[in-house]
Amino acid sequence: MLVINCPYCGERDQSEFSNGGEAHVARPKNPETLDDKKWSEYVFIRLNPKGIFNERWVHTHGCRKWFNAIRNTSTDEILKVYKLNEEPPSIGEFDTTLKTPSGEPDLGSGNFTVKK
Amino acid sequence: MTALNNNKNSRVTDSNKVSFIFDGKKYFGFDGDTIASALLRNNIKIIGRSFKYHRPRGIYTCGIEEPNALVQILSEKDEPNTRATVKKIYSGIKILSQNRWPSLKNDFGYINNLLSPIFSAGFYYKTFMGPKGFWKNIYEPLIRRSAGLGKPPKEFRSKSIHHHHNVDIVIVGAGLNGLLAASKFIDTDYDVLILEQDNILGGSLNSSQKIKTIDNLDTHVWTKKTEDLLKKSKNIKILKNTLATSYNQINHIIALEDNSVGKPLASHKPELILHKIRTKHTILSNGHIERLISFRNNDLPGIMLAGSFEKYIFRYGVIPEAEPIIFTNNSSTFSLLKSLVDLGCKPKAYIDVRDESSIEKKTKTILKTNKIPFYFSSEIEGCDGNKKLETISIRNKEKQIEKISGTMLCISGGINPDVHLFTQSKGLIKWDEKYLTFKPETAFQNTITIGSANGSFNFKRIIEEINEKLSLFNINELKIDLEIDCPEDLNIMELWETNNEKKSFWSKSFIDIQNDVTTKDLHQAVSEGFDRIEHLKRFTTNSMGTDQGKISSINSLGIVSKILKKNISEVGTTIYRPPYAPLSFSAIAGRSTYEFYDPTRKTSIHSWHVKNRAIFEDVGQWKRPWYFKKNDKETMYEAVQRESKELRNAAGILDGSTLGKIEIKGKDALEFVNLIYTNAFTKMKPMTARYALMLGEDGMIKDDGIVCKINDQHFIVTTTTGGAAKVLSDMEEYAQTEWPHLNVYLNSITEQFSTFNISGPKSRAIMRKVFSDVDFSNDKFPFMSFKKVNYLDTEVRILRASFTGELGYEVYVTPKYGLELWEKFFRYGENLGLIPYGTETMHLLRAEKGYIVVGQDTDGTVTPLDLNLNWMIGKNKKDFIGKRSLSRSDTSRKGRKQLVGILAVDKSKIIEEGQHVVKSSSIPSKIKFPVKYLGHITSSYHSPTLNHYIAMAMVEGGNDLIGKKLYVTQNKSSENISVEIVKPVFLDPENKRLLS
Repeated sequence: MLVINCPYCGERDQSEFSNGGEAHVARPKNPETLDDKKWSEYVFIRLNPKGIFNERWVHTHGCRKWFNAIRNTSTDEILKVYKLNEEPPSIGEFDTTLKTPSGEPDLGSGNFTVKK
Repeated sequence: MTALNNNKNSRVTDSNKVSFIFDGKKYFGFDGDTIASALLRNNIKIIGRSFKYHRPRGIYTCGIEEPNALVQILSEKDEPNTRATVKKIYSGIKILSQNRWPSLKNDFGYINNLLSPIFSAGFYYKTFMGPKGFWKNIYEPLIRRSAGLGKPPKEFRSKSIHHHHNVDIVIVGAGLNGLLAASKFIDTDYDVLILEQDNILGGSLNSSQKIKTIDNLDTHVWTKKTEDLLKKSKNIKILKNTLATSYNQINHIIALEDNSVGKPLASHKPELILHKIRTKHTILSNGHIERLISFRNNDLPGIMLAGSFEKYIFRYGVIPEAEPIIFTNNSSTFSLLKSLVDLGCKPKAYIDVRDESSIEKKTKTILKTNKIPFYFSSEIEGCDGNKKLETISIRNKEKQIEKISGTMLCISGGINPDVHLFTQSKGLIKWDEKYLTFKPETAFQNTITIGSANGSFNFKRIIEEINEKLSLFNINELKIDLEIDCPEDLNIMELWETNNEKKSFWSKSFIDIQNDVTTKDLHQAVSEGFDRIEHLKRFTTNSMGTDQGKISSINSLGIVSKILKKNISEVGTTIYRPPYAPLSFSAIAGRSTYEFYDPTRKTSIHSWHVKNRAIFEDVGQWKRPWYFKKNDKETMYEAVQRESKELRNAAGILDGSTLGKIEIKGKDALEFVNLIYTNAFTKMKPMTARYALMLGEDGMIKDDGIVCKINDQHFIVTTTTGGAAKVLSDMEEYAQTEWPHLNVYLNSITEQFSTFNISGPKSRAIMRKVFSDVDFSNDKFPFMSFKKVNYLDTEVRILRASFTGELGYEVYVTPKYGLELWEKFFRYGENLGLIPYGTETMHLLRAEKGYIVVGQDTDGTVTPLDLNLNWMIGKNKKDFIGKRSLSRSDTSRKGRKQLVGILAVDKSKIIEEGQHVVKSSSIPSKIKFPVKYLGHITSSYHSPTLNHYIAMAMVEGGNDLIGKKLYVTQNKSSENISVEIVKPVFLDPENKRLLS
């Protein structure tokens, strides 16, 4: 279970939170002006990368506030949390962080528990 | 030969005799004995039959790694698969051996051993392919009876609790290294938690004499002294009988404490405590596990791991056999040899694979002075015996077979650091060519591994390693003298399997003793293409079961690497997953069982419902009256028909308190409601209400409810009972993330109001009696309007709305007066024919009117257009959630499923919910000619008012099919029912009753 640092309440167990998927996918201001393809991109298409990911969380069993977090989906490390009205930090900030658990290749999902 | 007691220097003494029952017979052991040590004391060598071949099996190890000695504890609600090597006995414990019938000595299933040549790897996958139906009815029940472990318990062990800890440092394992590390933290500012699986501290200090003295103290004395110091230190807590089972993300450790070690289960105390620990640093000093060597019949009762044999001597004070034979490929067995000789016992033979020059001088000296037969450069070819070890065949250095007799064989195939927890934490391990094992290499979390858990098998370096690895904590250096009485370092020669002399179909050398996997199975799996270790594991069931191959998994990697001619590090290991050892579900469940699993929500009228024979339905967490039994004999069908009829004739009242209610307030409440719901609310007058739909961004119906407008800044909306929490969450999400500029406040008021739905032609008359000063006339109180009315010292909201198609009112009252007002309705209404009705009647009545139920008639793929609810869409609104999706190519295409009504041509026919709507009059018997599915029945009821079945269905292009004939399938017949497609309104299409 992760520990998540709610920007309003502080560190709490993951079980108090819900994940809201990719962050910074704003609802289009004028949906009627979009063609089907553009609109369906907003409704259906979300990123699911291995590595650094900006995602949304909500403190469901706490303050019920939404906020954003940057998580490395490979190491499950939450690198930063920030409020909705705050600018997302630049990804370059996390260049020096661990890419994968214990340094195995950052592509694929094989069994890398043994160091060659 | 028989077992001897070691009363000289063991941790269990013969002071307190304890009686126990094994397979119906009474035996004696000592206080502190495990089942295994007590059985060994009584010279019982066979204690179970194996998983697949039903071969007799004995005690192989002395701890958590045990593959064989699993027993059922009859005195503890039949708890199965208990490790005899861990479970402590107490007076009166009743133990049963497993997987044998009729008895341990004569087991019928042993026939499997004779048939074993056909039970090779993948046997089940290949053999039971057909004919159809045989698997379920014949093969599976047969296999289930003969293969397997213990029988499931009859009663659920439910008493366990959870403890939470937040600490700075967790030390897993309080052996020599754990205690030394812990002693560094005495009286520091670090919050330390020590987890020890045994009921005493000391680990291997208790089970061997490898360390003679520590700081010139006897190890026993030193352990006691250190424990006292740790206990006195306020920052350190010790949990004994506690096994760390999982090492999760962010240093989250799950440990299971057995709260009833060595005593019967206490009825008033939790039996298990699950510790959930969050720590900043973890020190793993959880030691090592010895591994076996595969040779012919290496599973015979009487064969035991050498380290375990030694542990029985010192930890439990029982020498299972005074003259065992020792077989090894490494230097660690010196200690067993020395201990036996010191105790006056003389091993019958010492067999070492290594050549004479690499065997330690100390070992050779002892063998020589005690005249113990010594075979170097030799190996055991195999063993023989009837249900127990009798003869051992040695292949000596001249490659000749020599046979010697013996009843006990101690083997050691090397030692593995226990890397299970380390790899769970996502640490990387690396193959070590010197020690021939996987060692922790790179930690992923704040994990420190020390001692043999780190693969540090050099006793000289213990203190140095601890000081070095714990230097980050800036605490005092340890200065301790260890007097060692064994080879300082581990010397080992590779040996996974010895060659079989006789290549018979029946000869077996086991690699996984618990799952009856032989080395031959590994060869076969590789030759059949399962050469990836994860595939091989699943195909052969190697390293599975309750022990997860703790003593053999590395051996199988060794054997597979030889077959594949690869390095072991290329073969890799299977992934170690939590839990480390089996964890009972009751421990995980903790207090969350039965009524505590999920809260039950009851309305303020609940007691009245119970008194009036309500049968309840679970809707989410709520208990809702499903129907009311008039008398005990009345069936549900009869009750629902009666309730429906009486309501349409007079009046009925439904407890609708469970409906979700959300209050929306704020300067921009109107705009917010306009964006959330499909309907237009701008022109709506204050104190009126509207039936409203909520969509997802994909245009599909998510929820429905009634929106009451008090004014532009204040709305109260209702939701479905099950959707209440989700609707509020969704509203909050949009308010915070998409429209933060809107000034709105949302509040759940579901439990702040009890809600009654009164409906039926007599409802106005009843309302007039209950609220005598309110004008209920059609002009003053039209449909879909509401009023606030004073009632006692509170305010009641009355809304004229209906879900039954009859004249109806909804009353919202504080739960404080809920029951009082409900009873008042009956005082005034009973003689007018008022009856209580439940949700089933509500569903029937709404179906007669063609009103939908979200989640029954819709399924997340249905738009309002599919339901012909176009009138509910505020087309002039610029935007609302899901609006754009209603004109997507898919939602606007022809041939979508649309809501229609269904009536059987023969009105006496019963139409079942969920049945398919098709074009053909019968279903062909062969699957080769599939019938096209046009749609399915979503709701179907027998209408007592119309006296026949009415149904609703979602049918492709339904709107164009009105008046056409189609067919509906039946559950128990291939003949279909001829039906007519009609508009989904069966009663009062002009809404005369509703608006009366």
